[in-house]
Amino acid sequence: MSAAASSVLRTTLATLLSHYRRHPGQLLMLLLGLWVASALWSGVQAINASARESYDRAEALFSADLDRIERRDGAPLTLEDYLALRRAGLPISPIIEGELSLSSGKSDGESLTLIGIEPLSLPGSAPLAQQDGDADSLRNWLVPPYRVRVAPDTLEQARTLDDLPPLEIASDLPPATLVTDIAVAARLLNMDRGITRLVIAPKYDVELPSAFIRTSTEALASPGQLADSFHLNLTAMGLLALVVGLFIVHAALGLALEQRLGLLRTLRALGVPARTLILALGLELLLMGLIGALLGIVSGVILAQLLLPDVAATLDSLYDTTVSGTLNLPWYYWLGGVAITLGGLFSAGASMLWRASRINVLGLGQAQVWRARLRGQLRLQLLFGGILLAGAVFLWWYLASAGGQQDLALGFTLVALLLLGAALCLPPLLAGLLGLLARYLPRRAALLQWSVADLQLQLPQLSLAMMALLLALSANLGVGSMVGGFRLTFLDWLDQRLLADLYVRPAAEQYDDLEAWLNERSEVATLLPARSTEAELIKDGSNAGSVALFGIAPKPILRNSWPLLDTKDSHEAAWQALTTGSAFINEQLARRQGLEPGDSVQLQGPSGMTTLSVAAIYPDYGNPRGEIVLPVSRLAREFQAPPGTLGVVLAPTKDRQQTLTRLQEALNKRFRLTGENASGASLIDQQALKQVATEVFERTFAITRALNALTLGVAGLALLTTLLAQAGARRAQLAPLWAIGVSRSRLVMLQIGQLVMACLGTALLAIPLGLLLTGTLVAVINVAAFGWRLPLHIFPGQLAMTVALAVVVAVLAALIPAWRLRRVPPRQLLQEFAAA
Amino acid sequence: MLKMTGITKTYPTPQGPLKVLDDVDLTLGAGESLALMGESGSGKSTLLHLAAGLDLPDEGSVYLGGQRLSALSETRRAALRREQLGLVFQQFHLVPSLSVQDNLALQARLAGREDDAWTRHLLTRLGLAEFATRYPEQLSGGQQQRLAIGRALAPKPRFLLADEPTGNLDEAAAAQVLELLQALIDESGCALLMVTHSAQVATPMQRHLVLTRGKLMDKAL
Repeated sequence: MSAAASSVLRTTLATLLSHYRRHPGQLLMLLLGLWVASALWSGVQAINASARESYDRAEALFSADLDRIERRDGAPLTLEDYLALRRAGLPISPIIEGELSLSSGKSDGESLTLIGIEPLSLPGSAPLAQQDGDADSLRNWLVPPYRVRVAPDTLEQARTLDDLPPLEIASDLPPATLVTDIAVAARLLNMDRGITRLVIAPKYDVELPSAFIRTSTEALASPGQLADSFHLNLTAMGLLALVVGLFIVHAALGLALEQRLGLLRTLRALGVPARTLILALGLELLLMGLIGALLGIVSGVILAQLLLPDVAATLDSLYDTTVSGTLNLPWYYWLGGVAITLGGLFSAGASMLWRASRINVLGLGQAQVWRARLRGQLRLQLLFGGILLAGAVFLWWYLASAGGQQDLALGFTLVALLLLGAALCLPPLLAGLLGLLARYLPRRAALLQWSVADLQLQLPQLSLAMMALLLALSANLGVGSMVGGFRLTFLDWLDQRLLADLYVRPAAEQYDDLEAWLNERSEVATLLPARSTEAELIKDGSNAGSVALFGIAPKPILRNSWPLLDTKDSHEAAWQALTTGSAFINEQLARRQGLEPGDSVQLQGPSGMTTLSVAAIYPDYGNPRGEIVLPVSRLAREFQAPPGTLGVVLAPTKDRQQTLTRLQEALNKRFRLTGENASGASLIDQQALKQVATEVFERTFAITRALNALTLGVAGLALLTTLLAQAGARRAQLAPLWAIGVSRSRLVMLQIGQLVMACLGTALLAIPLGLLLTGTLVAVINVAAFGWRLPLHIFPGQLAMTVALAVVVAVLAALIPAWRLRRVPPRQLLQEFAAA
Repeated sequence: MLKMTGITKTYPTPQGPLKVLDDVDLTLGAGESLALMGESGSGKSTLLHLAAGLDLPDEGSVYLGGQRLSALSETRRAALRREQLGLVFQQFHLVPSLSVQDNLALQARLAGREDDAWTRHLLTRLGLAEFATRYPEQLSGGQQQRLAIGRALAPKPRFLLADEPTGNLDEAAAAQVLELLQALIDESGCALLMVTHSAQVATPMQRHLVLTRGKLMDKAL
């Protein structure tokens, strides 16, 4: 670029930017939009990136190239098992694993996972076995004082533990995990003869004794896969916040362009080429984008740091995955944050650049010309919005007719089409609504008529903020209804599935005695035994992966309560079929494999191939895996399922809690189920189980709700900043009214009333849009993400809340401009009147 | 020299094409002053826009400093405009977000010809020195137009094109602005093409032309 051209560019850029010196509100609005959009998006991405990094480390450690060997009867592995298998010539390696409680300082109540390995027998390719490779390193590992390997982000916690060998940093380890020699781990975990699992390299295709079962590395769901849906949920909310923030940016840019039309014309007339002008506007965008991205990313990281402990706790309780409580952000996170902010800004600013490049230098500065063009744009918007909505209808029809497993990307495309289509249609619909209102208003209500007519004139400026509000309101309603419906369904389902008052999981050797003892107790009405195991699903002659088998006792109490989604014949006939050789399958398996009642499934179990007829499909919320239900006796017989839990249903009693406590005490006294008993037995009160499940549920959606509320706040902010940015122009329109005798307080009320009117109109569209969104979330997104569908619930309270929120947002946004108008001195209004 | 030959310009209207300029020839030599008169809608402003290269004729040619404008790119025409022309509009078209002194220096800066001494001299001559740090909205109409004239003259252009420069001013302010404009033109030595419908405004100019129904003819005042 020549010196002259760069001088022109510099002067043009400085002149363009000088606009914001005189209109700092617009600059604030622009940066606020960018900041909010970038902060929420960056925050969510920081959480996702950090969690992903933790998953990657965990996956590298646990699932890379190691098959697991466990006892078929579910009993813990022992040193004798290991020796027997080694003597049989199997190249296996033992691993023990347990939790070490952190009992000092701030880490109270938390624990670290300690893994003990035997490095000499561990398959060499496994990350656990990775040593530095030199003899010193191996010797240090194998002889006192030994070594404990720990990830940098867990080092501080590990130092609080007593009795640990010297710590060694290993950045490839997952958080909250310590790895040491098996002898040290056995001492620290008090596991003298126990082994948690045996591992074998997949390349060794050896025959196992029938008492053992081998699970291949592919069948083990990785932590990342399990938590994917959760992160998708976060990403979708972050994306919504980004879009709403970009609406503010778009509004601010549009306003800045409209107010600078005269300036652009003058610059062109003074000899600034169109290309230079566009380049300067582009540089202005870049500058704003960089400032916004910097502010946003820094705030996003702070937001993520605040939310991460909660997210980590949720992921731990939901998916049993360990996510580091400190942020570990890869380099691409930072670049990605800047790129998404700049990309968003340029997509929001593209129309401004395009409009500026098409400006006729001789017709510039004429607001009427510009407004007329905006009216044309309204028609175009309606057309585009209609096309997007038609696309949404087509996609809905396609997804509905495709059935079975839904495509998540298509589901989100449907949501995007719905939201953007409706948002584009909003301004023309509001204009139409106001036109109708103006036509039917009584002629005597002159001020009301003026209000409506004036609001029509304001629509071009307000429309983007209204679109942002529409998105936020409908997302709030849609997600709120989905979560509310989910809660209802989930709690109902828990009530139906958790019928027993107490669940006992005895050690295998205690099982028969305990069952007999319980059967003799007078306070016990029914026992509901359950077992579980795994089998390979065979589809079209090939292995379609492992599937969970769950054995139940089809007693009347269970039959009357267990929910079924679909049966071949009647509900009763389905239960009858279960007892005579058929099976129930969960919704996840039905959708993934395209199975219906009446179809057959083939399973490869320890006794060979079994074909089962599907009698019914049942809901199984929260379970990521496919599952098949069989009578418990059959599961034990044909699939060698080890004894599982015994559900104890109490006989009707006046004081359930007292009876339950007495029974628990008696059980403990007789069988020593808790305390020092190391048999792995457990005793779980049904109510405690429900409470834990409910807590996990509430925590899962806490972040969704928080992001939702933030998005609504952002939309309110969009409205406020739009009003503030055009406050000066509004005063010029209101001054003539004041001059002809409308008091300032009346003008203030009129302004608030106008905004409430516009927001109510927006809420009217937000309600059907929110309900459509709920429908899409429960029928498409949920099915694609989790494999099950929720019933659609509509809550009148949520609908009323949407309308109330719209009014609250309108009043809050109008309050500051109205207060400022109330304080405008009459002298200034006189000047505005003279200029108007 | 500014030379326009055989200029024809037609605009589409709902009633059909409207020929605003019909085979117009015009020349403006160095240091000359010329008043272009005519009724509203006679095509005066269109002719001025064509002379400035803001628009291009349907037929004919405009030569500025020997260069045919329609043969130049938009970028080159813009460069010619900022370096050789000063433009003054009826509506002032000042930049509201720039101070008086920055407005005055704007075109000179764009042209890379900022001359501090000349800018200070202009500020003083225009009677705006004490308002240098104020903003246009804090000035009277007459002061704003004087500032617009100053901005046009700051890069020392060869031609000043003024479109009804006193159209928005009262009589006293208009007389003051015209007197100043004439004096500054004499000082700077640039040629002036002024569009006006007022005979009084046109009187001090050396030559007078009138546009009637798209045709240009000499007028004796």
